[in-house]
Amino acid sequence: MTLINTRTLLLIIPHWRLIAAGVACDQLAVVVDSDRIVDVTPAAVEHGITLGIRRREAQKLCADLQIFVDDEELSVRKFDSVVEALESVTPRIEITTGGWCSFPTRGPSRYFGGDQALAQTVVERTLKVLSAMFETDEVPSYIYPRVGVADSRFVAALAATSETSSRVQVVVSGGNAAFLAPLPVDVLTTKESPLSKAVDLVDVFRRLGIKTLGDISSLPSQELLARFGSPGLLAQQLAQGVDDRASLLRPISNVVSEESEIDPPVDRVETAVFIAKAFADRICQQLAAQGLACVRILVEVETEHGEISSRLWRHERQFTPIDITDRVRWQLEGWWKSETAPTGSLSLVRLVVDETIPDSGYQLGFWGEKTANDERAIRSFTRIQGLLGPDSVTVVQRGGGRRLVNIEQRVPFVATNFDPNRVVDLPELTDAPWPGQLPAPLPITVLPQAEKLEVVDSDGCPIRVSGRGHMESNPAYCQSKFLGRHLIVGWGGPWFLDERWWDSTKKIRQARFQFLLANDTSHLCVIENGQWWLEASYE
Amino acid sequence: MKNAAAGVSSLSDIPQMSSPRVLAQHRTLPVVDELAGLFTDGGIRRGSTIEVTGVAAVSLASALTIAVSRSGGWVAAVGLPMFGPSAASDLGIKLSRWAFVDDPGDQAGIVVDALTAGVDLILIGPDIKLRSGHGRKIVARMRERGVSIITVGKAGFCSLRPDLCLRVSEAIWTGIELGHGRLTSRKLEIERLGRGADSNIRRELVWLPNREGRLNAFDRKNKSVTFSRSSHRVSKRLFGVDEPVSWAS
Repeated sequence: MTLINTRTLLLIIPHWRLIAAGVACDQLAVVVDSDRIVDVTPAAVEHGITLGIRRREAQKLCADLQIFVDDEELSVRKFDSVVEALESVTPRIEITTGGWCSFPTRGPSRYFGGDQALAQTVVERTLKVLSAMFETDEVPSYIYPRVGVADSRFVAALAATSETSSRVQVVVSGGNAAFLAPLPVDVLTTKESPLSKAVDLVDVFRRLGIKTLGDISSLPSQELLARFGSPGLLAQQLAQGVDDRASLLRPISNVVSEESEIDPPVDRVETAVFIAKAFADRICQQLAAQGLACVRILVEVETEHGEISSRLWRHERQFTPIDITDRVRWQLEGWWKSETAPTGSLSLVRLVVDETIPDSGYQLGFWGEKTANDERAIRSFTRIQGLLGPDSVTVVQRGGGRRLVNIEQRVPFVATNFDPNRVVDLPELTDAPWPGQLPAPLPITVLPQAEKLEVVDSDGCPIRVSGRGHMESNPAYCQSKFLGRHLIVGWGGPWFLDERWWDSTKKIRQARFQFLLANDTSHLCVIENGQWWLEASYE
Repeated sequence: MKNAAAGVSSLSDIPQMSSPRVLAQHRTLPVVDELAGLFTDGGIRRGSTIEVTGVAAVSLASALTIAVSRSGGWVAAVGLPMFGPSAASDLGIKLSRWAFVDDPGDQAGIVVDALTAGVDLILIGPDIKLRSGHGRKIVARMRERGVSIITVGKAGFCSLRPDLCLRVSEAIWTGIELGHGRLTSRKLEIERLGRGADSNIRRELVWLPNREGRLNAFDRKNKSVTFSRSSHRVSKRLFGVDEPVSWAS
């Protein structure tokens, strides 16, 4: 096996998700993904909020917390301005996610006079973009960009994230092993590592007393292979500074690419994405026939006026057709909204596979995983998203709360990574029951927007409820646009709901009622500040 | 020897297995036992259109999807933005394979057509309208791919001809009075009208929802339930056990 390491520069902008959400550093804010905190401002850290905890727990620690839902699309789109600034350094920039990109240093390093100088240049250009974004000269230190240069991507990523005072760390050529030796084995499970899923393996290492990467690399490799199989050997190679992916990467014998002229040219992103979807399917099929999977792809689009947007995209594992389509959409939307937005309609789409790895296999699950059935459904939802926009197909995600609008949340299907096995039926396990929650049975129809309602007694006087739940007379009729006017033949209530009484802007105080009407329909209504609202129905 | 005999018997099954005949039960989507009585084949015939009308139409339409969603099938709801997932989850619906297209706009025909390629059951809300050309095309696709549609409200609005009409003819709540109690459970009488083999009228009594928000078959021997005042005038006629129930009246 010939081992070719590519000397790589990796740029990380910390807390990019927060930057993309437009949060200033002194704000109390977090970004959540699937109910877990994935990014947090220094101000919020002081309240004890850490990464990985649940949204509810974070709210418990800090009531005024601003919560942003992670939006990868937005994050990548905003990152475009940084990439544009770096394109004057090198054209071969690979974007992994928002705030995270890399490029091979061979050419640019010689041009700028060494790795250190190149890294400084990258930091300066990034800072310029960031300060323009925040409209300050002084970029806050917690989002100060970090750069690592090393002989492989894995080591470069570790150098960039390592806890040193300097924000630029250059590992000398051939110095991978020496740099890695004192690091703890846990780094094997960091984001850029090919072993990022092997938490169990690292756990075993730790319990065997193998604490640093140096320990792993000094073990006899045959024993490691015998005891841990190929992941063990891979761990040793990584510890010795050999990036496994570099050795797996192979130049593609016959370049797999797809391109087509669009005639007539289109000016809608979704239409171009739809065309790219077909390409992506074909490319993945061609690769699969050779037992390969794509890890890096070049996406190029051209307009009728000759403007070109060309970008390399890297995937942490391997691209599926849906992943490729997403990258095309991100690139196009970023281009459309940038300062160099195209003036003409799109006339050409080109996808070129840049790097491949042997396909490690993707087995459709028997149960508990994606089935062929799910694949079919996902395909048709993707088609509808192409037609109506990415937010058009939604699925249920359950939150906590006392009011129905809080409990029941819909999220776009794209945001769930198309995972049909996400847990939606269970309420949050760590939480105690919500006092004041509606008892079962719950209404099956929840109006997206509550509707105004009039409730009167038998003399036609409007019904009012005092702070202590006292009513002057009994409700007899109710009327609304949605329902019409009906006699009330059964009613229950009032049940009070007093939420966030400590916050004058967000507080909610309402009284709930259940009404059974003469037409046999039943409804959940609330009165708030003297106004009746129809909130939900049991139909 | 035993194995060999088993082998021979299974060999003799092969001509049967390879014949193109498809049993009715394989051409149906599952339905929970409480509602199976409404269907001649014991389940929703694949490729059929079912119209659900009357009060509690959304509840009934959702209840029809319980078994499909639990057996790993996909359900899509078009034009039902007001659907309440918590109640559905209490009913026993597995929402992980439910998707919503709340507002298809004027592309409803294309959206439903795209869904027939991917899901097993499609719910169509009351405000969705399809052009008649789309309706015919969709029916053909549904037959071909074995996808069924349930319309909440009249199927005619979507240019679809229902194969089976389910109507809630009576809904009676328990637990609520004028000024006290709360809605606890509701008894539904569901009436089935159909075409061809389904043309005889069938009726089914269920609790939907019961005290826990679930679906329950109605046990006529259990009289320990008090009904709200509004229903007293009909309860004797509907649920009286001492006189034979005459449904035709």
